[in-house]
Amino acid sequence: MAEYALELTNLSRHFHLKNGAFKEPTLLKAVDGISLRIRPGETLGLVGESGCGKSTLAKMILGLLEPTDGDVLINDKMRGASSRLSMSRQLQPIFQDPYSSLNPRKTIEQIIRLPLQLHKIGDANSQQRAVKDICDLVGLPERLLKNYPGQLSGGQRQRVAIARALILKPNILVCDEPTSALDVSVQAQILNLLMDLKKELGLTYLFISHNLGVVEHLVDRVAVMYRGKIVEQGTREDIFQNAQHPYTQALLSSVLTPEPALGLPDVLDSSAWNQAS
Amino acid sequence: MKRILDVKNLQVSLPTPNGNLRAVRGIDLQVNKGEMLCIVGESGCGKSMTSMALMGLLPKRAEVTAEAMHFDGMDLLSLSKKERNQVRGMRMSMIFQEPMTSLNPSYTLGNQLCEGIIKHKKVSKDEAKKRAVYLLERAGVPYPEKRLDQYPHQLSGGLRQRVMIAMALMCEPDLIIADEPTTALDVTIQAQILRLIRELQQEFGTAVIFITHDLGVVARIADRVAVMYAGQVVETASAQDLFADPQHPYTKGLLNCIPIPGKTLPGSHLESIPGVVPSLIGELKGCAFENRCNASTGECCYRSPSLENHLGSAAHQVRCPIATASFQEAV
Ligand SMILES: Nc1ncnc2c1ncn2[C@@H]1O[C@H](COP(=O)(O)OP(=O)(O)OP(=O)(O)O)[C@@H](O)[C@H]1O
Ligand SMILES: Nc1ncnc2c1ncn2[C@@H]1O[C@H](COP(=O)(O)OP(=O)(O)O)[C@@H](O)[C@H]1O
Ligand code: SF4
Ligand SMILES: [Mg+2]
Ligand SMILES: [Mg+2]
Repeated sequence: MAEYALELTNLSRHFHLKNGAFKEPTLLKAVDGISLRIRPGETLGLVGESGCGKSTLAKMILGLLEPTDGDVLINDKMRGASSRLSMSRQLQPIFQDPYSSLNPRKTIEQIIRLPLQLHKIGDANSQQRAVKDICDLVGLPERLLKNYPGQLSGGQRQRVAIARALILKPNILVCDEPTSALDVSVQAQILNLLMDLKKELGLTYLFISHNLGVVEHLVDRVAVMYRGKIVEQGTREDIFQNAQHPYTQALLSSVLTPEPALGLPDVLDSSAWNQAS
Repeated sequence: MKRILDVKNLQVSLPTPNGNLRAVRGIDLQVNKGEMLCIVGESGCGKSMTSMALMGLLPKRAEVTAEAMHFDGMDLLSLSKKERNQVRGMRMSMIFQEPMTSLNPSYTLGNQLCEGIIKHKKVSKDEAKKRAVYLLERAGVPYPEKRLDQYPHQLSGGLRQRVMIAMALMCEPDLIIADEPTTALDVTIQAQILRLIRELQQEFGTAVIFITHDLGVVARIADRVAVMYAGQVVETASAQDLFADPQHPYTKGLLNCIPIPGKTLPGSHLESIPGVVPSLIGELKGCAFENRCNASTGECCYRSPSLENHLGSAAHQVRCPIATASFQEAV
């Protein structure tokens, strides 16, 4: 087994923002020298405010965006050194929006089966069987296979996205806000599914989320990102019980649990973590 | 306490290709001066339709009926279009989830902040500007004078939402309806904005109807709560009572779904509500929650339950005879 399912070394992505024809473009360091390691079977939560660079990081890991600098290693091998098929069989994404990530003109069966067809794995019969098995695994009723995405609920669509991601039997899932677009009752179903799949298949997750309650429930370790950098990382206990960085502390104190007696948290002064970062 | 809004049996339906969609199915709402009423429920349960109906902002093809819709003693349904516009401009205002839906990208913020008060309250331009600067400052917008000349796209999402809050307060309204005003914001900013709404509300004595799907937010800011499901209120109570002693199976289900830091064991199986919300097209037979309810009995799919007092108190009402009855048996 690989030592690390996922290893990022000094990964950066800069964007040049145009400021009109005559001005110098501004340099935006969306991801700024990030190093991270995730062991096989581990779940790492990545948290941080909007625009801090989480999705940019995920896109580089998935090969959807070229890094400006640094390396992505998947199961101890450089991304890019392996073929596309080999990558797809190791690493798959699950995105936030189960509405736009599924092709509206394809049936659910076609959507889940497509990766097998693309990579010419098995014959028609074995592909159909694989689709049925995976639907069983993710709790998607078989009767929905002939339907189109538009006929499914948000939770069902997210199950389709998970089934599609798992059909090539990858060992790593990169989940970018997988439940943010869902209602809480459905969110709980999908979180249960992700936890069950991890137990059953020994999956490794990079789990990106705004929701700290969800992150605490799901992950083994947490990395806190702020303006393109990791400002703090540690085990779930380290971060949730003993956060050191003022930004992490501010994030945690802003979590609103359903406890009326606690009222609203005091507003913290952001200069504290701007200086510290 | 002075009652600002009194709504009885509000119904909203919309024509769709598949039939009449009954988005709001008989809602009663009462809000007092200076009170924060939270309406909470999952997507599609009719929260936005309710708020748009109260504001009179629904498209023409929507059919709105109510036994009563009284705003500070006025019957909103019998007002002319012009009178309704006046009430909306001066005495009721709305904050949306995405401020860009209500900010015009091609006018300066100063223009947009001052437009209503100049038109409706006949104040001078200078006075209007002074008030705008004062409210922007109270809303925590840095450099308030400078902002008057800026355009919406020059501000971050959090700042735009602060501007919207200032704008909603310009005419000193009696009622503000805020529809998911912090859903698109980061948690640190959300906490700041909620605090701001709460403070300004208490300072100005404004009544607020705050709409959200987030029970955590509700718990921390509400005076009273109405839980909505499939176009109806299924439970209403003070925030204290609702969270300490939830009665409706849907309310209980929602509360059990959320992992709570320090309480829910990490990694444990979460409770969820199986199934999906029923279609709102046409009539619903029996209890709307029946297909997802773990307490349902044979009768539930025939009887449409009404809102009943819990423990004989009109302050806590539940739309589930099973919950009410089992409680009486237990007592
Ligand atoms: N293609 C691009 N061109 C220019 N700037 C970009 C591009 N993609 C992302 N950015 C910028 O990089 C920064 C990080 O964006 P990113 O989407 O990674 O944030 P995020 O942490 O995923 O935020 P959210 O929580 O809102 O999803 C932002 O300032 C964003 O505007
Ligand atoms: N313009 C519209 N035409 C037809 N149906 C609509 C329209 N807008 C909303 N609906 C329907 O009305 C119901 C209530 O919607 P809404 O009030 O927006 O829910 P919420 O704000 O609680 O998420 C939903 O079933 C929704 O699909
Ligand atoms: S009336 Fe029946 S189905 Fe409806 S909430 Fe009560 S127990 Fe459940
Ligand atoms: Mg993102
Ligand atoms: Mg809405």
